[in-house]
Order: sequence, then structure tokens, then C-alpha cells
Amino acid sequence: MNHDHAVDGFSVATRTPLFSGSDNLPEDIDLFRAAIRDFVDEHVRPRVDDNDRAPAEDMDWELVRAGHDMGLLRLVVPTEYGGLGRGVVGVAVALEEIAAACAGTALIFGATLLGQAPLLLSGDPQLQARFLPMFAGDEPVLACNAITEDAAGCDLLIPENAVHAVGVVTARRSGDHYVLIGRKRFITNARFADFGCVYANIEGHPGATGLTAFMVPLDEPGVERGPVADKMGYRACVGSELIFHDVRVPAENVVGGEGNGMLINVQQMNMARATVAAISTGVARGAFELARTFCAEREQGGAPLYQHQFTARKLAEMTAKIDASRLLYMHAAESADNQLPAPSYEPAVAKLFADRIAIEVAQEAMSVMGARGYLRSYAMEKFVRDSFGARIYEGTPEVLALAITEALYTESDDDF
Amino acid sequence: MSTYVSSEQAQSVFTELFTILLDDDDFRSTLQKSRLSLHLIQHHPDMELYVTADGVQPGRPAVPAAIRMKMSCDTAHALWAGNLLMPLAVATGRVRIKGSISKVLEFVPRLQPAFDRYSEVAASHGVAA
Repeated sequence: MNHDHAVDGFSVATRTPLFSGSDNLPEDIDLFRAAIRDFVDEHVRPRVDDNDRAPAEDMDWELVRAGHDMGLLRLVVPTEYGGLGRGVVGVAVALEEIAAACAGTALIFGATLLGQAPLLLSGDPQLQARFLPMFAGDEPVLACNAITEDAAGCDLLIPENAVHAVGVVTARRSGDHYVLIGRKRFITNARFADFGCVYANIEGHPGATGLTAFMVPLDEPGVERGPVADKMGYRACVGSELIFHDVRVPAENVVGGEGNGMLINVQQMNMARATVAAISTGVARGAFELARTFCAEREQGGAPLYQHQFTARKLAEMTAKIDASRLLYMHAAESADNQLPAPSYEPAVAKLFADRIAIEVAQEAMSVMGARGYLRSYAMEKFVRDSFGARIYEGTPEVLALAITEALYTESDDDF
Repeated sequence: MSTYVSSEQAQSVFTELFTILLDDDDFRSTLQKSRLSLHLIQHHPDMELYVTADGVQPGRPAVPAAIRMKMSCDTAHALWAGNLLMPLAVATGRVRIKGSISKVLEFVPRLQPAFDRYSEVAASHGVAA
């Protein structure tokens, strides 16, 4: 971030004392958060502006390497494979810290963890032994989760929609292999990932009713890394198409059995949504931190802005929203860390709320900074652009609402 | 009709199965290292087991176990016989687990010896394949 570019003697805050919602965290998580915060100050903040302005296809490998050294690419990998063995709470705490500086950077690591999740859910020691140790090597390795397609977004997320999906990547059985044909779109990390969890429909099944999860090494013949999406925000991470031209995948790379991809994906999403809510909370916090500092330093009518009643009300509303958002995502993350199947309600509620307040807080924070909020050099407009991102991925508000209401009207038999 | 005809039959099979698992160094050392305990709750017919690195005990533990797994005996049969994949069983809610999921994810791959031996153990107690 170009703090040095600030004008009129205004300097931005780099951290916040506000951490409501995590007072009762285990000490190791607290220490972990402090370490992540130091990592963010040292490696992420100084390059936020450069990465935001770089061409869409550029990846800051120096930053990725620093994150790898920190363990961010193997947060959820079991310790026996060289990982940190963290759960959803650990991931969420880390991603909020990073997103408070740069949501795009948080997603580089988050998308890798998402691609690893089916391996963990598989409980398959062979698959795990083949794919997980690579994340603990000397060099950083990225993964991706390839589900979204040009004509099928929500149709691949909502089981009842599956029959209506069109143009889905197809998997045709051929002896002890499957052959993948088709195109994925908007896949974070696909440009550089070593492998992806790729969802494809088994040939002959209507729509996506035969959706199946495959672990696919992306150096296989026939894999093409397609055009990069030139995004409005989240510019530090690279999203692109991933095209499969008769790509042969061994049958043992199927996760959870043929035709069960939708179930695997729902589990994966329910675990991921709490962490995306954490990213949105981080975006809101980052914007708020800028506004808070500005309102302490900027004087009008002989008093700093925060002493003016209207501005005070805005600051109070913003911080209340951020605290509430953190409480919700921490509750969701703790729920996801302590039960299988992963809960659907808590993560969906947390994400619905966090995604909304990220947009609201970023816009309000921008408004209290007046003209300065509109300048790129003050970094606020980046938060506004980033705030709309999480509203789209891992479940739009419309999809989340369906998950929430389904839980509301389903009797729980969770009696043990 | 249920695969298991009585609680006693289920108790015998799963006690023996987890005793076999405890003979596996990898499984036992994982329980020891992570101080893991498992409370297995099965129904139709009802049966409960408490498993620690020290042994297998029938019934409900005096203190809550680190991991609790709940399923029907039919689901358990399908799972251990290799006819139902664990991720699918979990995703559909046929197997429900409570406790530290990161520990569960480390523990599940170590159940392999039980998959290898289940059919033989079940058959020895008169459970139809």
C-alpha cells in the first residue's frame, strides 16, 4: 500500500485494537494471529498498491514465497505431511488479518486451501500421500478448486438445480481412467496451480447430476491455462479459465466416488464459507481503520471529525457491524471445526452478513473521508472495489438464502 | 431387515474390530500422541463403545470423548465392508461426527486395518455379508 503517497500530512493506520468475538480463543490461535499480523505488516502491506496496479495476469511470487515460508499454503494440511494442521478457526483468523490489508492476497492462500479440502474430506490415505506433501516442500505450490463454468454457476452449487446445468465439463470413463473435456471459468490460481480439484459430470447424466470431484495434476497433457479475468478488485490473485482437451485422469483420483461431486462440494463450501466471511470482515476492518485514523486527524469546525455527532454515529455503526461479523464467522468456524457433516446454517449466515457489511462499511468509510476517499493514493477505493468480491464467490446472497431457509425448515436430528 | 440381529452381536463385532485396530502401531500411536478418545454410538440395534489407546470398553464413557461418531449399524456395516465411502457417508449425514475435525481428519486414514478385516470379523460373529 502506498502509505507514502498520502497527501496533506495524512497518515494511515496499520492495525486496529478491535478484536471482539475472539476474546476466548485458545492461546495458540492468539499467538498465531499475532504472527500473521507481523507477516502482513512486513510482506503484504508494502506491496498492496503495486499488486493492485499490476497487470491482471501478474502474480507476486515473492509474496507467495513469503506466505509459503509462513505456512499459509499448508495451514490445513495434517502435521504428518508437514502441514500446520489448523482448522477452520485458524484459517479464518489468518485470512481476516491478510484481507484487512489485501483481500486478493488472502484469496491466493484461501483458494489453495479450498483445493486441498476434498483431499482431507476423502479420508483416503493414498490420495493424501500423493498430493499433500508437495505443500510442505521448499518451493511454494498453489492449488485451485475448479467448479464454476460459463453457463453454470449456481447450478453446480444447488443440488436441486443440477438437472438444469448446461455445458458442464464432461468426464468419460475409459478403462482405468476418465477423460475430461470442457472449460472452467473464473478459477482463482488456475493459471499457476500444480493441481486442481475439478468437478466434471459423468457422461450420460443429465445436467450436472453425475457431478464428480477429480484431483487433477495440471501438468497433464491436454490441460490448457486459459485467458485471465481482468477483475475490478482482488487484483493480487489471478483468476482464469482452465480448459480440458481430452485430459486423462486415473480413476483413483476420484474423491468420494463417482456421481457424488455435489455432496463433496456442499461439504467443501460449508467449511469454506466461514473463512470467506472472515475475508469480508477483514475488508470491512481495513476500510474502517483508514476512516478511523482519518477522523482522528482531520479537523473541521475546530474539532476532529470523530467528535462531530454525525460522523461519530457512522464510526460507531461501522465498528458494531465489524464486531458482529467477526462474532458470526468465529461461531461458524468453531461449528465447522467440531462437526461433520459441516454445518450449513452458521457459515451461510456468517457469509451473508459479512459480505453485506463489507460493502456497507467500505462505502461509509469512503464517504467520511470525502474527496480523499476517492483518491487512489489513500487506498480506500481499493477496499470499495474489493468489498464486492466475496459477494460473488462461494455463494451469492441468493444461494446463501436458500441454504439458510432450508436449514430453518428442516428438523434437526442432531441429538448427540 | 437389519444386518445386525442384536446389540450383543454388534457389540462383539465392533469391540473385536477396534481391538484389532489398537494392535496396529500407527493407529494406537495416533490415539496416544493426540490424546484421542472415541465414543462410537450406533443404533438399530443400539450399541456404544469407548475407545482409547488403553483399550475398548462397552457403553457410554464417564467423561465425554474427544470424538463422537454416530451411525446406524447398517451404515457401519456398509462403511466397514467397503460398500459406502466415508466422505459420502459424512456428506449425506449417515455418519455424524462431533469433536475436533482436524483430529478426525488425521485419524480416519488410520482406520484402514479395520476395513481390511471387517468382513472376516463380522462373518465370525454370524453377520451375513
